[in-house]
Amino acid sequence: MKIKVLFFGVLSEVTGTGTKVYRDVKSIEHLNQIVTDDFPEVIHYKFKISLNNEIINGDAELKNGDEVAFLPPFAGG
Amino acid sequence: MTRYLTEGPVTADRITSEINKLSLRKDCGGHSIFLGQVRDDLSEGIRIGAIEYSAYEEMVNAEAGKIKKIIFTEFSDVLEIVILHAIGKVMAGEISMFVLVSAGHRDHATRACRQTVELIKERLPVWKKEIFDDETHKWQENG
Repeated sequence: MKIKVLFFGVLSEVTGTGTKVYRDVKSIEHLNQIVTDDFPEVIHYKFKISLNNEIINGDAELKNGDEVAFLPPFAGG
Repeated sequence: MTRYLTEGPVTADRITSEINKLSLRKDCGGHSIFLGQVRDDLSEGIRIGAIEYSAYEEMVNAEAGKIKKIIFTEFSDVLEIVILHAIGKVMAGEISMFVLVSAGHRDHATRACRQTVELIKERLPVWKKEIFDDETHKWQENG
């Protein structure tokens, strides 16, 4: 099972990467925990999480090929 | 690249090209344009020289589509909406965003243009890094 995780804005700097692949991740909450373990600084930043281009509130199951993005507050316009 | 994003600043040629297309439609009576520009603000005494924009391109496609649907639903007289946002480096004084709303009449054109800009600021997955004259930078977020 492979999940592609994207980091945008300030989080791409904090994690030092724009993309990371995780395996055997069951859910958004599980992924959030793993990402926080890998990049502890992330907890100091506000962000939302999207799953396959839709913002997720709360937990959701993940399946092979899903794309999850960590999205700091938007700043367009 | 998605049709809603352009590498570098939005150019006068691109804006002119979109305006030239307007003559193809004979059912529009009013068009409203918004241009977002990078200002050389001072932040803690240091001047902003440029803004570097980045975006989640796939999600920009999805969200720009939703924004247009919201506007078409709320403003029944609107006939076309053009949204174009810069990514990459845009220098102070250059254009970072272009919105063009065409409608049968001016009331919906102007109000829908304003609402489109507000929805872009709220929903489009775009980020900006202010780059100062001393080469330091700071990430910004919309208020």
